[in-house]
Amino acid sequence: MSSFGSPYVEGNSIFHRMNPAVKMLMFIFWSIIVFMYLDIRVSLFLVVFGSLLLYLSRIPGRIIKNLFFAVITFNIINVIFIIIISPDFGIELAGHKTVLKKFFGYQIYTESVMYLVVLSLKYLSLLPPTIIFIFTTHPSQFACSLNKIGVPYKLAYTFNLIFRYLPEVHIRFNTITKAQAARGISFGKDEPSFWQKTKNLFCTIIPLMNFALERIDKITVAMELRSFGKKRVRTWYNEASFTGTDAIYLLVITTMFMLFVYLRCKVWKGFNYILF
Amino acid sequence: MNRNVKIKFENFSFRYQTLKHPTLKNINLEIYEGEKVLIAGRSGSGKSTIMHCLNGIIPFFLEGEISGKLTLNMTAPHNRRNIFEASKKVGTILQDQDSQFVGLSVGEDTAFLMENDAVPEKIMKRKVEKSLHIVNMKEFISYSPYELSDGQKQRVSIAGILTSQAEIFVFDEPLGNLDPKAKKDTLKLLDKISKTTGKTIIIVEHQIEEILEFNPDRIIIIEDGKILAADTPSNILISGILGQVGLREPLYIEAVRNAQIDFSKIENAHIVESFATQGIREKFLKNIEHRIRRFDHTGEIILSVKGLSHNFVPEKKVLDNISFDINKGEIVSILGNNGAGKSTLSFLIAGFIPCKEGEIFLSKDNITNTTITQRGTKIGLIMQSPNRMIVKNIVKDEVSLGLKISKLGTRYIEQKTEESLRICGLWEYRNWPISALSYGQKKRVTIASILAHDPKVIILDEPTAGQDFRTYTLFMDFIKTLAKTGIAIILITHNMQLALEYSTRSIVISNGVKIADGPPVKVFSDKDIITTACLRESSLYSLAEALNIDKQVFIEFFLEQIKFGRGVK
Repeated sequence: MSSFGSPYVEGNSIFHRMNPAVKMLMFIFWSIIVFMYLDIRVSLFLVVFGSLLLYLSRIPGRIIKNLFFAVITFNIINVIFIIIISPDFGIELAGHKTVLKKFFGYQIYTESVMYLVVLSLKYLSLLPPTIIFIFTTHPSQFACSLNKIGVPYKLAYTFNLIFRYLPEVHIRFNTITKAQAARGISFGKDEPSFWQKTKNLFCTIIPLMNFALERIDKITVAMELRSFGKKRVRTWYNEASFTGTDAIYLLVITTMFMLFVYLRCKVWKGFNYILF
Repeated sequence: MNRNVKIKFENFSFRYQTLKHPTLKNINLEIYEGEKVLIAGRSGSGKSTIMHCLNGIIPFFLEGEISGKLTLNMTAPHNRRNIFEASKKVGTILQDQDSQFVGLSVGEDTAFLMENDAVPEKIMKRKVEKSLHIVNMKEFISYSPYELSDGQKQRVSIAGILTSQAEIFVFDEPLGNLDPKAKKDTLKLLDKISKTTGKTIIIVEHQIEEILEFNPDRIIIIEDGKILAADTPSNILISGILGQVGLREPLYIEAVRNAQIDFSKIENAHIVESFATQGIREKFLKNIEHRIRRFDHTGEIILSVKGLSHNFVPEKKVLDNISFDINKGEIVSILGNNGAGKSTLSFLIAGFIPCKEGEIFLSKDNITNTTITQRGTKIGLIMQSPNRMIVKNIVKDEVSLGLKISKLGTRYIEQKTEESLRICGLWEYRNWPISALSYGQKKRVTIASILAHDPKVIILDEPTAGQDFRTYTLFMDFIKTLAKTGIAIILITHNMQLALEYSTRSIVISNGVKIADGPPVKVFSDKDIITTACLRESSLYSLAEALNIDKQVFIEFFLEQIKFGRGVK
């Protein structure tokens, strides 16, 4: 099945076969766990376990690599801001401080450093389930799975429309840009002035907006003519079947989630940066 | 005759909320079960409004005031709570193939209606396959819309309404801007559906010559919101009412009329072969002067394309070794079906895409490697839809925009703007908001803003698509006057009528290869070229064949006649 306009990567891994609603649930549970904990043991476990899942998903390395670097970049910026704004937040959380090293008269505390490490690991551990969900869920099943976990179908279908018409907007944007450039309204290398470039970009946006607005009107009519919104529920042509294996996955995912919630409430409560 | 009335308008009038006067005035019309009806009229005649009343767009989307009565299948759609009741009985195919294809794949789009009706998945899958089989699209079931042609998208939409319980099918300009081959396929499919399902089919269309092939039972002519005539195609053609309301008659009828042959006694005037009588042949022969117009273009060469080839993916050449010259003041039509490579060719000439192989010269300067901005002011490409090009609100500002950016002197800008506005007949409208202009005028605005740069070549992509005959003639006559000023015009089109009437030369492209280059008359009387390029032979050609008269001479004669008839002002 072609997937022009969506990030879907063709494949046949366990995640490709997994019911999208289950996959979505996994993603949601995973995220909740990540945000519940500030514990290096949990974060490290999730990173390792996540990498294993990523390996199983058979998503090409180059795609993962790009996103990985994006997350790292974001993280570095984040860390810098924390150092500038509240360098002692880790000490506050831990309730004590140990000097790690002296540095040109500044004291660097173990707690502060470890706080940044745990935080970075947290962000990193979000990456695997996100990648898996985005790249192994077929766009046609995306809206359906949203609907299945309770999102109203009118809202869920918006994603379908985005996947459907985004490439077209892209194509239009290209031709409009060219047509304007032919009149000397360019924002490429031809136009040296930055201010003029910005103004020119605006000239390209207007026909594109016209196009989009016209399109939206027509699509709405076309959809309603075919009974969209008539009933409270709708079925899905590309609905993924819910198999026995999916039931097992669901059980495993839910159990693990419960376990982590229990641990968070009863055992591993606060900020912990000691591995063993 | 005892036929069931499927649709009944009784003293029906409708006024859009935003308009002062009613768009439909006192319509009385009965359409029977299983009937094939063509509703024809100029743009703005009210023909689309009738369609909107049937499928419920009126009054649920477009509000207004209704008086009189409309019954659909014995029930009044407008008394129902919403649009859906109407849409259950009426399946609609809209004109825009892309907007109505909302699914991410062929199968999904076909199922869209059933999904919304909450049909169980299994039944849905079976019905989708069945419907796609009818429209010959089954093997495309998992294709994305981006891999389909417009014609194929339309077939998928038709498959979609075939899954419904609708008893009435409504088609809004189904031929639209499809290429000749797709038009032929659509007509064939419409015929098949009508024969196998026995559904009532209503087509709104203004391309009479082509739609006649569908052989409608009745043609209903709408003008100014009223029904002027409702009769068999044959009677409608004989009455000459098409011409009176500004629609184009089929070319063969025009030819017979121009030759002042009385055909009021002919039965089945909607079939070209009915005219193949000895009497008519002799009358034609008496009229025809054996004179072939001479096409000499010894003028100065403006644009020269040499050995142009292009490919987007390594394996498949979109264009293969295309060469031609275009002279000053010439109007050249580049013809071919969608996918033949003509858009790529125009993009290469205008510099929208970089040239990989071959060379392009503009009055002896090699411009092969110049950027789009350097080239744009000399070679203007006018896109099909003016809305894709217009940026400003006021006519004058739009036309002067490009000049202002080039930072030319104010006096010069003003002078140039005025000049191009005057040429385009827009000087009185210079301070108007563009949104208040008609479609044809908007198109002129886009041309005026190119003219301001003193272009040498103007490329027009499907300049007359979707326009009725009157707008078509007005616009193309204007293009002719432009050419007289020395600008070379390239028409990118699959409309053979347009090429025949307005171009001085036709270049035919098929599968990326140039297969013909010569006077249109000559190109179009060559059956081999027409079949290879999958173009459509005009009814003029068929008439000449039926009458056994030399085609080239016949078409030539016809062109002389219409030039005379319409008057060269």
